[in-house]
Order: sequence, then C-alpha cells, then structure tokens
Amino acid sequence: MDLTRAKIRDLRSALDEKKISAAELCGEYLKRIEEQDKNLLAYITVTKEKALSDAENAQKLIDAGKATALTGIPLAIKDNICTDGVKTTCSSRMLENFIPPYNATVIEKLNAEGYVLLGKASMDEFAMGGSTQTSAFAKTKNPYDLERVPGGSSGGSAAAVAASLAPAALGSDTGGSIRQPSSFCGVTGIKPTYGRVSRYGLVAFASSLDQIGPIANDAHDCAILLNSICGHDRHDATSARVQTPDFTEKLGQPIKGMKIALPKEFYSEAIDDCVKKAVMDAAHELEKQGAVLVDCSMPGLKYAIPAYYLIACAEAASNLSRFDGIKYGYRGEGRTFGELIIDSRNKGFGEEVKRRILLGNYALSSGYYDAYYKKALALKQEIIKEYSEIFEQCDVILTPTAPTPAYKIGAQDNDPVKMYTADICTVTVNIAGLPGISTTCGYTENGLPIGMSVIGKRFDEQTILQCANAFEQGFSPVAPKF
Amino acid sequence: MSAFYPTMGLEIHAELLTKSKVFCTCSAEFGGTPNSRCCPVCSGLPGTLPVLNQKAVEYIIKAGYVMNCDISRFTKWDRKNYFYPDLPKAYQISQMPRPVCLAGTVKINVKGEEKVIRINRIHLEEDAGKLVHDEVNRISLADYNRCGIPLIEIVTEPDFHSSDEVIAFLEKIKLLLQYAGICDCKMEQGSIRCDVNISIAPKGSTELGTRTELKNLNSLKAIARAIEVEIERQEEVIESGERVIQETRRFNDALGETTAMRSKEDAHDYRYFPDPDIPPIIFTEEELEAIKNSIPELPEQRVERYVNTLGLKKADADIIVGDKRVCDFFDEATKAYDNPKAIANYIVGELTRRINLGEVDMDALKFTGADFARLVELLQTDKVSQSNAKIILGELVENGGSPDKIADEQDLWIKEDNDLLAKVVDEIIANNPKPVEQYKSGDQKVFGFFMGQANKALKGAASPKAIQDYLRKKLSE
Amino acid sequence: MAVDMKTIEHLCSLSKLSYDEEGMEKVMGEMSSIIDLMDEIKSFDLAYDDTKDGNEIRFADTREDVPEESFPTEKLLANAENTDGCYVVPKVVE
Repeated sequence: MDLTRAKIRDLRSALDEKKISAAELCGEYLKRIEEQDKNLLAYITVTKEKALSDAENAQKLIDAGKATALTGIPLAIKDNICTDGVKTTCSSRMLENFIPPYNATVIEKLNAEGYVLLGKASMDEFAMGGSTQTSAFAKTKNPYDLERVPGGSSGGSAAAVAASLAPAALGSDTGGSIRQPSSFCGVTGIKPTYGRVSRYGLVAFASSLDQIGPIANDAHDCAILLNSICGHDRHDATSARVQTPDFTEKLGQPIKGMKIALPKEFYSEAIDDCVKKAVMDAAHELEKQGAVLVDCSMPGLKYAIPAYYLIACAEAASNLSRFDGIKYGYRGEGRTFGELIIDSRNKGFGEEVKRRILLGNYALSSGYYDAYYKKALALKQEIIKEYSEIFEQCDVILTPTAPTPAYKIGAQDNDPVKMYTADICTVTVNIAGLPGISTTCGYTENGLPIGMSVIGKRFDEQTILQCANAFEQGFSPVAPKF
Repeated sequence: MSAFYPTMGLEIHAELLTKSKVFCTCSAEFGGTPNSRCCPVCSGLPGTLPVLNQKAVEYIIKAGYVMNCDISRFTKWDRKNYFYPDLPKAYQISQMPRPVCLAGTVKINVKGEEKVIRINRIHLEEDAGKLVHDEVNRISLADYNRCGIPLIEIVTEPDFHSSDEVIAFLEKIKLLLQYAGICDCKMEQGSIRCDVNISIAPKGSTELGTRTELKNLNSLKAIARAIEVEIERQEEVIESGERVIQETRRFNDALGETTAMRSKEDAHDYRYFPDPDIPPIIFTEEELEAIKNSIPELPEQRVERYVNTLGLKKADADIIVGDKRVCDFFDEATKAYDNPKAIANYIVGELTRRINLGEVDMDALKFTGADFARLVELLQTDKVSQSNAKIILGELVENGGSPDKIADEQDLWIKEDNDLLAKVVDEIIANNPKPVEQYKSGDQKVFGFFMGQANKALKGAASPKAIQDYLRKKLSE
Repeated sequence: MAVDMKTIEHLCSLSKLSYDEEGMEKVMGEMSSIIDLMDEIKSFDLAYDDTKDGNEIRFADTREDVPEESFPTEKLLANAENTDGCYVVPKVVE
C-alpha cells in the first residue's frame, strides 16, 4: 500500500475492508521510520514493540466489528504529552529519562479507540521555539529541504506527517506551535478553541495559552482526529463544558456568502511578499467559490509580541519551577537543597528555556508586575475585544501563518528577538483563545510550502474546517521528494 | 509597669474537614504511611492540573459567615511562587487580591469585658508536605501526604493588646469553626495553627512599632508564653537603644525563647499571579443563601437555647457548650431522656470532672449519650442510688455497656424489699431508744441520723423515699 | 542596556539558575534586547480589569468532595531518588 500522504479515512477503509491488517499498516510505517528518520529526526522515541502490540489489540476490535474512527490508525504524539510507561522528554535534558506514570486525557481517549502509538515526536525544548532546533535530542529537519527547519515547536509532528512517517500526529500550540510547523512542512494543523481539548497530561508551557491539536494531511483528517480528542474533562477545570459537534459535518458544504476578514496589519511589510501573494491568491480562490472578502483592522497587533511573551513566559517561569531535581528529571549535584536545585536546572534546561524563565520572573517580580504582566493582561482583553468586533461582521479571518517560509537551520540562532517577532501571525489566536487552522496555500519558487491560517469564533472549529477544506478541494499539494 | 504597649495581629491556618484534598481526589485524612495519600496531581507531576473541591469553597464561605465577613461574589486563585522541597509544584495555590471573605468581626470576652476583633480577610489555600530531617546522613525525607489539604487562612487586624485577648480570640475561633463543622481544631495534630505578628510602642504613641512574626506555636499555652517572651525581648532591644528588626522568629518552648529564622526565599518575592489552571468562581445569591442556611447552630445560639428553652443555668450551659464534644453528647442524651436539667447536672457534676481528671477521653468514648441518659433516668426514678450510679458510670467509662446490664450484673438495683426494710428499720428503732425519745419530743434533726443508719444497713435495697416514709410512720407510732 | 547586572543576578536567584561570568555578560545582552522588545507594551495604556476576563465558572461546576483511591507510592516515586517511601532531599539549610 502506498502510504505517501495517506489519509486517515483511506487507511480506515483499507483496515475495515481487510485490505491490510493493523499490524501490517503499523509495520509499514515503522519500516519507513527506520529507513528515513535517521535523516529527518522527527522522532525522539519510536515505540516499536508497543506499536505492534497496540496494532494486535486494534485488529481484534476491527475483527469484532467494534472499530471506531481511529482503531488501528498509527499516530505520532508530540513528546510533551504524557504517555504512561513511555518516556516523555519534552526534548529536554531535564526529562531525558522521565517515564510518566499516567496518561494524558487525550491519550486515554485515543487508547479507548484502539489507536497505535508509533512514537514520540520531537519538538522545541518545553515547546519553546519555532524551529525544533532547541531540542536536546532530535533537531528535526524540514522534509522539503533538509537544510531548513521544520518549524516548531511541534516540528517533529509536522515533519513526520509531511514525510509520511505517520498519517497524522498530535501537537500542541501555545503561540503557533501547531500552525507554523504545519505551514513550514506543507501539512494541515488546527489549534482548537482554548478549553476544547483537555490539557491534563500536557506538560505545561503557558497554561492559559496551551492547547493540544491535530496535525494531518488535510482539514478532513484534522476533523476526524479532533472528534476523538475533544470534550470536557473532569481533570481539567479549564476544559469547557460545551457539546462536541461532529467536526466533519460542515465539510464539503459550499462557502457561498461566507464573510472572510483580512485584517490589514497581518499583511504588512513584515511579511514576505511571496507569502502575502500566496495568501491573497488563496483569498481570491475562496472568493471565486462565493466567499466575501472584507477588509478590516486589528490595531492591537502591534503589541501582540510583548503581550504574548510576557504572559507565556510568566506562566512558564512558574510552571517550570517544579523541575528541581528531586521528584523526577535531571538530578544535579549539591550538598544542600539549594545547591542541588541550581545545578539540576543549570544542566537540565537549555539556553532558550532559561531565557524565558528569566523573562517570566522579570515580568512577575515586584516592581515590574504592573508595568509588564498586568499590562499584558490588559492587552489580552483588548485583543479579545478587537477580535470580537471583527467577528460581528465576519465569519472567519484569513491571515498568513508565518511571515516567511521555512528558513535555513541556524538563521535565527543567537537572536531571540528575531525568533520572537516571527510569531506575529499566530500568537493573537492563543491570546484570544480562538481556534485557528493552517493549511498549505502555495509553494515558493524553491518548492517550499506556504501556509495560510483561518481563524474562527470561539468554539466554531466547524466553520474554519469548512473553509480550509473548501480551499483544499481545489488545491493540489505536492509531497516532499524526501 | 512597662512603658510599652504591645499590639498584635494573628494569621490563623485551619485545615478544613473535607473528605478529599482541595485540588485532587486523594483522601484528606490525617496521617498515613509516607506518600500513600498522593497522586500525580498533589505530587506535582508534570502535566497535572488542579481541580477545586466544592466543599472546601463551601466551608470557607461558612467560615466567612460565622465571622461576619463580606463574601466576595467573584473570587480567584493565585500562585505564590517559592522553592522549598515540601512544595512539589514550587508554588502554593492561594488567594491574593480576591479572597473569598473580607472585612469581618468576632466578639470576644476577656475578664468580663466584651471586645470586637476585626477580621481583615479569609482565604483558601493548600497545605504543603512534611520534611523529616535525617541529621546523620545530612538528608531530608519528603512526604507529600499533607500536600493539598485545604486550609483557610484567617488574617486579623492588629487589634490585640494582650496575650489574654489572643487566647480568648483563639478559643472563640476554635469553637466557631468546630460548631460550624469547618475544622476539628486539633492544635496538637496541627489542624489549626497560629502565627502572631507582634510589635511594641511607647504608651500613648499612635504609631505602631516594627513587628516580628512568631512561628512554631503548638499550643495555646505556648502562644501565651511566646507573646510574653517576645514582648520582653522587644522591650530589652529598645531599652538598650537598638531597633527591632522585621523578621520571622521561631519560638522554642523548651528554652522559652524566640530566635530569628532564615527566610525561605532570600528575596521574599513570591511573584503572585492568577493561577491560569483554576478559573475564577462566581456565586449566585441563592448559592450563598443556601450555604448560610446550612450552618449548624453556633455556640452562642446553643447557650441561649439551653438557658431559655431547656432552663439550664447559664454557668452550666457555658460549661457544656465550651466543649463541642460534650455539647453534642448532651444533645444526644436529651434526645433519649427528656430531662435536660438532670442530664446537665450530672454532666457538669460527674462527667466533666472525670474529663478534667483525664479519666474520660471524649474522643474515645465507650458509651453513648443515650447510655448516659439512661443512667441519669435510673437515678432520677430511684432505681439506683447515688453511690451505685457512680459505680455504673465508672464501669461505662472503663468498658462501656448498658447501665441496666451493669446494674444487673453487679447487683446495684434498689430492690424495694419491704420486708427487709421493715426488719432493718424496726431493729434500728429498737436499738436506739434515746434518739427515738428526742424525735418524739420534737427534735426533727435526729431524723437524719435514722436515715443514715438505714441507708448504710440497707445498701440500696430500698429507695430513699421508701425508707423515709417507713421511718416517719414508725417514729410517729 | 535595559537591565543591569544586579537585576540579572536577582532574576537568576528567583529562577534558581546561575551562569559563569562570561555567561552573565551574554545573558545580560540578550535579556536587554528582549526587554527592549517587551517595553513596546508600555505605550499601550488601557487598564486591566480582572473581573472582565470572562473565564469564570459557576460554583456548581466545581468538583464534588468525593475521595478516590490514591496512587501506588512506588509508581509516584519511580522517577525519584527515594528511601522508605519518601523523596530524598539533600539537607535543607535554614
């Protein structure tokens, strides 16, 4: 079976029609991983034995006619989502040998369906970065050009899907970490509304912004995965008490009359011309299908980067304080608790993580709190307001996913400011807690994918999936010649 | 007389009587082998999230009501960040700008004078774990069983000026929390703890002096002593021309001194910020009203009911209400036997005496209020004598059982044996012609002599009333 | 420089991190440019109202007080240096 860019739904019918067994399917992916991942470095851990035994169990369900959407479907899971008994490193020396004794809620949900865990996908350390180059273990490469970054922080997940080393994957998105690597790797990824998916078992970066979501070959597969992982969770007080609709329901429905907002600040000189052109071409393609393009403005965007980094790093500084070398993780040396904790953190954390901890503590420390952290919260309220004003007039918002296509490995090294400002297109969606989907809308002259993002109202993933899907119907993606 | 005037404020931590911890479903019971009452959440494993216990919120609202506080309609939780190995997340979930309760008052009575103490705030937070220090190996062992036990912190205004006031307040708070069912207030188990902020200023001064914070106060006695010791120390510091430093001091009960503690976080910058894992909570008026209405009868109301409805003496009512376990026992007993005055008398006269002597442990009682009521009833209806009643009570305390059965087994009943009565009394009269003469010539006092003789000889075989009647009849013949 | 060495030292102490001399210089440079970027927010002058975040839940949606079985101690301690069911901590200096 040709697995190049294979869709979950095609695999589903192949499994149900017994054209392939779950074990064979899993074996094919494991073989591809074994042959190709040494060049790509998408995975930190490949769970070969577990995958095969998962597949055996899945096959029993299929044979008993009890298969659901994901039974026997192999998936890659970002390495910051806790898997009971399987190493979960967050790409950090700090958690190099950490084996969680419990499953994240999303893993429990996937298990209940009988999915197959292929392995744990690489990422930026503690999800801090946009290149996957801050990983302590696997600095993943872009399958379209091995000299370029796959994006991040869910770079391993996106690269694995793009290179067909998994049909789909779970990532997490705090400031663009699902959408931006999806864009760099030419796949489709959705960040659900904050509260749509339980965060229980997701190693926290910034708790008020983090959200788990799918990365797949198209919007339809994202919808299928989303159907399985959503819902209120009693272990997560921030998970919303809302009904989970069938996210595939509106796929294929015409988008005639759909109002698509184009906030001008997202199309500024900070965005590469090739990106702007590809996104605008896509906008006109949607217009041809009957959508209405609406010009609008989001003045708050100019404060978005500081607001995002202040909130995210403040929370991160607190969230990462628990790594003290005592309960789990890298244990340094020291005669006293004070010495041990500093040594553990000095050696366990990478440079970018340390910078963000320092920045977070700066924003929260006495004397600076009002000027930075509180200001950032005020800005959050302003951005929410500006979004809701746009949504009074429009159904969705269309923006580039990233200012540039995938850049060369090393291009942003040692320049945190450049790294941070590159998040400009994605962070406001997290600040406002909205759903956003990135799908490929074109390629550069060199064949690098360009992504566009469709942003929706709170809990209206259905409409952005519908919109992305409508575009994908008339678009021919090019798989990497990897 | 000292030239200084002390001022004190209290921070009281009370553990709530919830069944589960405040942010996870582990049991909140006291004790357990190390780390046996823990889960990924309270052990601070990466990826875990806190989920707030409704009962804990209900209890702090009740605490607010019993201390006449304003209850916030909007309340939220914050992280207090500091590194210490008893705090697995390296932050304590607490409340900073929006606590559940604000601005309350509690009345206390000190040496007959009433005084109002103002409450600044009450907030909900989680307890930390326990460290056991192994000096030999120079290590500490961390046990997180207590991590996540719900605590309320009651912060008073600096309204205290003597240790008597502090003790009176703590006793009052203890009763209020116990009667409202919020906290069992066992100081020896640490379920209620108190830190004292203390400063002195020259008498007549309107400004407060620099304060120190006293910690490690494990009993009311220790608190009173620590306050005295610290006031004395501050006086000495000032009198020697130096200044009091703002710091935390630990009281050493054995040495009777306070010593400065090194702070947990050198800079003491806790970097409070709203906990993004716990959404703020809003209350409706109906919810608050329902919680308020579910508060059980409070100590003052009970005293009032005992005096006005049951007709107890105020002093007896105060004694009974002063210990919630005794008070509940009294209520249980009166349900079984509707003679509150007699029960109260016997509790105040017999039971509390034995409690004070340490003979009776109200936490490990072998008999019920109904058993006790039955004993009082037997006494009241002349089924057993006073002295035999004490024997039965002793047996109840020792081994439990039913008063009737004990009376049967030990032959303690008044037998109403009229033949024996006649025989014994006739003999006494026959053997004492002189007192008989005295009685007949109008000396009523000798009647007591005959009663005594008869009681002694009959050993409970007849009731006092029967003896009395028969004696009078015979002596008048 | 937006931040001085004293501030960086304070942040390191709050963060339980340390650098050698060279590292401190480097981090001070990086933090200064990062904080310059953050300072852009200072020109935004709306106030924050914490009651208007819109993320509150109802009292009734909090968790019922029903205890559940705790976790096996060995499993919790599996990633830690431990003895007698406890985490081993080097001496805490007070």
